[in-house]
Amino acid sequence: MCDNCGCNVTDGNRHLVEADHRTIEVLEDLLHENDRQADHNRAHFDAMGLLAINVMSGPGSGKTSLLEATIKALPDRVRLAVIEGDLETENDAERIRRHGVPAVQITTGMACHLDAHMVHDALHELDLAKVDILFIENVGNLVCPASFDIGQHCNVLLLSVTEGDDKPAKYPVMVRAADQMLITKTDLLPYIEEFSVRRARDAVREIRSDLPVTELSAKTGQGMGPWLAWLQAMVAERQAKFRRHAQGYSYAPHR
Amino acid sequence: MHETAIVEGLMRILEAQAARHRVARISSVIVKVGRLRAVEPAQLVACFEMFAEGTVAEGAQLKIEAVSVRARCKACATEFEVPRFRFECPGCGGGDVDVVQGQELYIESFEAAERLPSGGVPK
Ligand SMILES: Nc1nc2c(ncn2[C@@H]2O[C@H](COP(=O)(O)OP(=O)(O)OP(=O)(O)O)[C@@H](O)[C@H]2O)c(=O)[nH]1
Ligand SMILES: [Mg+2]
Ligand SMILES: [Zn+2]
Ligand SMILES: [Zn+2]
Ligand SMILES: [Zn+2]
Repeated sequence: MCDNCGCNVTDGNRHLVEADHRTIEVLEDLLHENDRQADHNRAHFDAMGLLAINVMSGPGSGKTSLLEATIKALPDRVRLAVIEGDLETENDAERIRRHGVPAVQITTGMACHLDAHMVHDALHELDLAKVDILFIENVGNLVCPASFDIGQHCNVLLLSVTEGDDKPAKYPVMVRAADQMLITKTDLLPYIEEFSVRRARDAVREIRSDLPVTELSAKTGQGMGPWLAWLQAMVAERQAKFRRHAQGYSYAPHR
Repeated sequence: MHETAIVEGLMRILEAQAARHRVARISSVIVKVGRLRAVEPAQLVACFEMFAEGTVAEGAQLKIEAVSVRARCKACATEFEVPRFRFECPGCGGGDVDVVQGQELYIESFEAAERLPSGGVPK
């Protein structure tokens, strides 16, 4: 009566003992839960007709400075809100609040990117009915934020001139995910002769030829025009879609 | 370390599947990873070994199969393999393409090494 010699195998239980090695096919997405939550977040956004933008870059490329400059430059009728993702500190959210714009800080602790669940938690601290553009500033990181859908409608990727013009080629996955690329801190170009805007643009074009690239300085405001125009065009497009769907809209996610 | 989040998803799937199929031990797992996913195979394996400890997948081998990037040109419909992230159509030189392969991140299958006796409770 032991498990090794087979003396306890009977016709009744043989299939249990011998069906030992089986390949079980699964075909399930590993980030399925995140993706489902991201779709749910997007349903929140779409129910309000707001535009959600995921802002990504390496650490310190000027994401928060860009948002501050954008807040100052956009007309008041465009209502903004910001979700800030950082490993630690409330600093970035406080910088935004100083401009009178609602901001929620997410501190991720260990995680080097925002995920859809974190963003969903933050959403409940905002009154989405009063928002036209929700900026979600991701954790400064050029690798993984692109892998986690957070429910955004589009991705903006920043590259500052102090980082080097080879970064697009080194982080192609980020470039591929972007819908708008900004070359930032261009006021520093005269001091950084190693950075060639043309080389950076060429590298981007190889990876994604249709990606709009805009050069700007959040500090001086130079070059902000095309970025602001792009933003307003995106908002208009989103709101037009919202109005078209408004009548037939049936699914309202919980608030 | 986004590999942690990915492996958490993998473990959730494995434990659910093991319970469903009455599997007591998993000996190997095949995961498909597209080259557009920025996932580091060595980190994924290290992370998996850590998370698998004390579960049905303890000691299981994680096999990662990389999936190359393929795209289809919107202008001339040529489908091509994308070498080193150069998304340029070999047919017409255009760069406006749809990615048709390379975004994968899923578990394909696993090998079940033992079956629970009927009535047994999965770990
Ligand atoms: N010269 C110059 N400096 C800038 C510009 N934009 C940002 N900076 C500086 O760059 C540094 C980082 O800017 P932040 O806006 O905090 O960058 P960030 O991407 O939000 O940083 P993290 O959230 O920490 O990743 C700060 O010292 C800014 O003052 C710019 O247009 N020109
Ligand atoms: Mg910041
Ligand atoms: Zn919700
Ligand atoms: Zn990460
Ligand atoms: Zn073509």
